[in-house]
This record gives sequence, C-alpha cells and structure tokens, in this order.
Amino acid sequence: MQVKRRSFVCVLFLVVLWSAGGVAQAQSIRVVTTIPDLADITKQIGKELVEVESLTRGVEFMHAVPVKPSFVPKLNRANILVAMGLDLEISWLPALLEPASNPKIMPGQPGHVDCSAGITVLDVPRSVDRAEGDVHPKGNPHYNLDPFNGKVIARNIADGLGRNFPQHKAVFEKNLAAYSAELEKAVARWQTLAAPLKGTKFVAYHSDWAYFASRFGLQQIGSIELKPGIEPTPNHLVALVQKMQQEKVQVIIYGPQSDRYPKQLAGQTGAAVVRLQSTGGATAETDSYIKFIDYNVRSLLAALKKS
Amino acid sequence: MVSSALRTPSLAVSAVFSVLLFISERGLAQDSELESLRSLVKGMEQQLQKALQRIDQLENERGITATRVEQVEKSARARQSAPSALNPAIGMAIDATAEQRSKAGGTFNFRSAEIGIAASIDPYARGYAYFTGSGEGVEVEEAAMVTTSLPWNLQARGGRFFADFGRLAKFHPHEYAFVNTPLSLERIVGGESKADGAELSYLFPTPFFLRGTVGGYNKLGAENERLDDSKSRSWSRFTYLGRLNTYFDLTDNHSVELGTSVAFTPSSRIPDVAQGGSRTLSGLDLTYRYQPLDSTLYQGLSFGAELFGNSERLQRASGVRRMFAPGGYAYAEAKLNREWSAGFLYDNAPSLVSPGKKTQSYSPFLTWNLSEFNRLRFQYTYGNDNVNESKADGGNQFFLQWTTTLGAHSHGFANR
Repeated sequence: MQVKRRSFVCVLFLVVLWSAGGVAQAQSIRVVTTIPDLADITKQIGKELVEVESLTRGVEFMHAVPVKPSFVPKLNRANILVAMGLDLEISWLPALLEPASNPKIMPGQPGHVDCSAGITVLDVPRSVDRAEGDVHPKGNPHYNLDPFNGKVIARNIADGLGRNFPQHKAVFEKNLAAYSAELEKAVARWQTLAAPLKGTKFVAYHSDWAYFASRFGLQQIGSIELKPGIEPTPNHLVALVQKMQQEKVQVIIYGPQSDRYPKQLAGQTGAAVVRLQSTGGATAETDSYIKFIDYNVRSLLAALKKS
Repeated sequence: MVSSALRTPSLAVSAVFSVLLFISERGLAQDSELESLRSLVKGMEQQLQKALQRIDQLENERGITATRVEQVEKSARARQSAPSALNPAIGMAIDATAEQRSKAGGTFNFRSAEIGIAASIDPYARGYAYFTGSGEGVEVEEAAMVTTSLPWNLQARGGRFFADFGRLAKFHPHEYAFVNTPLSLERIVGGESKADGAELSYLFPTPFFLRGTVGGYNKLGAENERLDDSKSRSWSRFTYLGRLNTYFDLTDNHSVELGTSVAFTPSSRIPDVAQGGSRTLSGLDLTYRYQPLDSTLYQGLSFGAELFGNSERLQRASGVRRMFAPGGYAYAEAKLNREWSAGFLYDNAPSLVSPGKKTQSYSPFLTWNLSEFNRLRFQYTYGNDNVNESKADGGNQFFLQWTTTLGAHSHGFANR
C-alpha cells in the first residue's frame, strides 16, 4: 500500500513538473495556425517575439484533416489562433476548439485571427444546396493561392498580433512593411514569369484554383469531380474528355487527390498533368509562403513546356 | 525705258513668280505642317478617346464596386437584423435498414430520424439537442448545456447527454463504423451512455492530450431499467463516474488513444429484487488509427476495442449473488479508396446474471460512401447465442443500411 501511494505521489509530481515546464517555456507569444502558409507569414511578422506552430503539415486535403486530440493541448496553450476562415477548417477546427478550454481563441474573440477579412471572395454560390455537392456557402476558401492575398493575410496577422500584444505593435508594423515589400517584389517577378500562362485552359480535380487562375489569367474549363467533394461518374468523365478536346485544354491540375483520373484523362486528351500544392509546407521547396507560390508557378510552367 | 519697261514686267514676272514660288513653297511647308498637326490632333484625339474610355471603364468599375459594397453592406445589415440570423444550426440524420435474421425473419427497420440543433447560448455556454424519432416514438436523446469559458481548463456539462463513459457509448448509432450496437455494449452499459445529470471535465496541462471527467447522474445507460429517472432519490442511488482519456501520436500517421472509465452506484436495484447493493460498471477502451496525412481521402485503418465489466448483486436461481460479467468488442476497418471501406467486428456479450453464458457474433461489413452525407452499408452477422433460450441473437443475419445526413449535423469531438 505504502509503495502504491509513493508511486502515485511520484507520478503526480512528474505531471506537475511537466506542466510547470510548459508554463516556464511560455515567454514568447504562442501562435497556432491552421496551415503552414499562415505559420510562415506569422513568423515573418512576429520574428523572435512569437513561437509559431501549424496544425497541418501542408500535405493534407484541407477538407479531410483528422481530428487529432494531440491538437487540443496546442490550442489550449495558444495565445493566438490564426485561421483561414471562410469555412476552410469547418470539418475539424470547431470539433477541436470544443475540448480545448481556451476562450481567448474562440471565433469572434480577440485571439482568433481570421485571415479572410478584406479578401475579395470568389465563387460565392448563388444558392446553397447540397445537390451542388459540398459547397462552401461563404465562397471559395483557397484564397492563399493568389499572392496578392498574401499581403491581406499579412495585414490581418499583424493586426491580430497588435490587437493582442499592443506593446509590440510598432515591431509588428515594421516587420509587416518589410515583408509586404518582399512579397511585392516577388509578385512582380511572378507576373513576368507567369506571363505565358495567360489564356491557358485547364481542368482541375477539385475547384480550389480559382484565385490562382484569376491572378495569372488561366481559364478553368471543367472539374474532374462531378460536384465539389463527389467523385466523377463514367458519364461525367466521357463528357469531360469531349469538352477538353473541343476546348483544347492544355493542362490538368490536381492537388492532394489520387493521380488516377488526371493520368487517365491526360492519356485520352494529350493534356499535361501537374500536381500543385494548395497550401505550403509539404516539402523543403514549399516551406515558406513565397517559395510555395514560386513552386506552383514554376511547376505549371514546366508542365506546359513539356506538353 | 524699253529695257526698263521690259525689265519692269520681267521684274514683275519674276517677282510674281518668286512670290508664287514663295507662296507655293510656303504652301507646301504649311501643308506638311498641317498634315503633322492633323496627325498630331488625330493622335491626341485617339489618346483622348482612350483616356475617356478608360475613365468610363474606371467609373464603371467604381460604380460596380460601389454597388457591390452597398449590396454587401445592405446584406450584412439585413443579416444582422433578420430574426433568422440567430437561428441555431439544424441538421437531421436518417437511418434505415432492411434486415433478414434467420431466427426472426425479415423487416424494413426504420431505425431513427435524428434532428440535431446546436448554437452558442452566450459567451459562457453553448447548447445542443438531439431529438430522435423511431419505431418506438420520439424521445429527447440529448439536450445539454456546455460551458465554453470556465477557467483552469474546466468544462461543465448539464442536462441530458451521453455520459463520458468509454468510447462507443457516446456515439449516436448512425455514426458507428458498423450497423448495430454491439450486444456487449447493449447488455452491460445499456446501449448509449444516456444520462440525466452533470459532468465536469478537466484538461490536464500536459504536452500530450490527457483529460479527466467526473460526473453524477440519476442513472447511466439508455436501456438501464434499474432506477426510475423521474423519481427523486437518496445520494446513494445516484451513479457517479470517473474517466481518464489520453492520446498519443506514434508518428504523423499512426496514433493510439486510451481510456478508462468507472461508473459506481452505491445502491442499485434491479426491479423485483429486494436486496440492493452497489453496482460497479467499468470500461477500458483502446483505439488505434492509421491516417496517412497525405491520403486520408483514400487510405486508413482503424482498430477499436473496448472491454466492459459489470459487478452487482443479481437474482439467480440459487438466490441473490454478486456477479461480475465481463464482455467486449473489437473491430477493424480499412479504407479501400475514397468511397469504399471494409471491416470486421467481433462481439462477446455475456449474460449479466450468468456470465458464463455468452452471445458471440462475427460481422464482416462493407461501406460505400456515395458522398460525405450519403452512405450504404452491407453487413453479415453470424451469431452464436447461448444467452437467450430462443437464440434470437444467433444464426445468420443480413443487413443493408442506408444512412444520410441533411444540413449541419455533427456530433463533434466525442464522435471522432
């Protein structure tokens, strides 16, 4: 009995020590972001004042991120949560915020930074009905694919950090100005680089490339999915091949989906196939927001050159 | 004179000539100048035209933007003022099966239509309710308040809800990976852990997920007939619960979740049994998941197992005796591609009165997810029933299940 009690006290002591360790580390501003792009931009603006972690790694399909209880302690300790909003994280974030016991970062609270504020939203549905598939009532949430929106995201993050830690506002503003200038330079470079993309006709697996297409002048002809979130039927694929041939579609873009249908369609139509990233962070080539956009532009150009 | 006269006209001619020449030269020069002026004016006209067009275009755009801004502002104002803006999220799940059991025959079984309503109540709490209509009538399955801003990592819940016992007991049956509630869960816990009461959860400040729950309820279990929910009782007739739940990521793609629960009733009583006594219901749950992050849409494996034990004084032929009945289930399900998954469920359900007698069943199942909201499932069950004299749960059983969800229907973290 004595031994049991002692071991119980030991375990309790260890748990307390562990928790105290967690508190002792807590000197910088703890920021949790939903995607790596936001983590990178937050790091650029917060620099050494912030300790940033992204919940997803950049390889996930954003509408099927597993609800991992290991995210709960991270959300519990966060000073600030930076999210994309527009319901991009609807299938997993609310379920994690529920047990996280952190009122500061709940939607609508100062610690919840929604980066979609001020974005010109594309693909806002005229009517919301699931007969149209898994539609986003608030519009297309993949706005991070347009680098112009990178500046809006950065501004929202700087505002969010400044709102919660006004004592560092000047530093955030200075870092924001520097990052915005860097981003602007990169945007100018991409606009020159991506000039040949103008007018390129493409088919996408899932309709998440609207912002990218509108920025660089690409034209989407169709989707492999029957409706958002719904796999194609054989009839849909036959009709799509016909349309691709008529419209002379040059490239098929897919993301974290299987390459089965893209390759099948490419075989039938001669279009190029390219896998682009819908968020950064998946590889060393996309480990910053700027590198991620760069990767997408260059990959698409390379695919077109090959075709 | 002549010469001068001659000279004069010649002079005059030459003068006229030179004047004409001058004029013509001048005229030529003027012509080219005019030409250049004309082209200049033309160019300017074109530029002006372009500029005007651009101005028109810009004004147009500004007009569109202004109209758009106005529309957005109006709609935002309308949304803010519309009474429907504060309506909660509403959704429904419909679950029906066609069944064929070798002992009981076939039936179309309308299992449930479950209406869910959820919304924030105020900055301090959120509320949710599930009303379930089935062949047995309509009942309030859950209707509870949960705090959202208690300090010290605490969260309180009150009302009617699925108590934090085990894992599957908190699932609404349409969310299972297979068709039926395992008999072990049904007999030992009483199906879902439905309870009227209050709970307090604590999230430990550890780097990994560790959560503890304590609760007090009238009774625990949707099909628990031991006590009457509507009557007041002494403190010893309530059920008290304790649970610890933890989770580890083994790697990015592999994870393990563990939980242990105990529900203790100091004085429980089975109807028609004079002698009461304490009842201890215990549970151990383990879930392993393989979720390859880059292909969760197409691949995955989950293994879930739970052990239950019930210890209480029960009426037997030989008199009233304390019996311990252990049982449990285990299942594994693999995702074959985006739409299809297949699995197997083993269930071992004892008789509470004679734990030596068991119903064991083996169920392979195949699920077709037409979309996220529409699912067909085929299940075959072979049961070996040594508990019921009629062998009702034994033999060959076939199920075809159709489950759909409408609107916003989510059971959140508990049904992950």
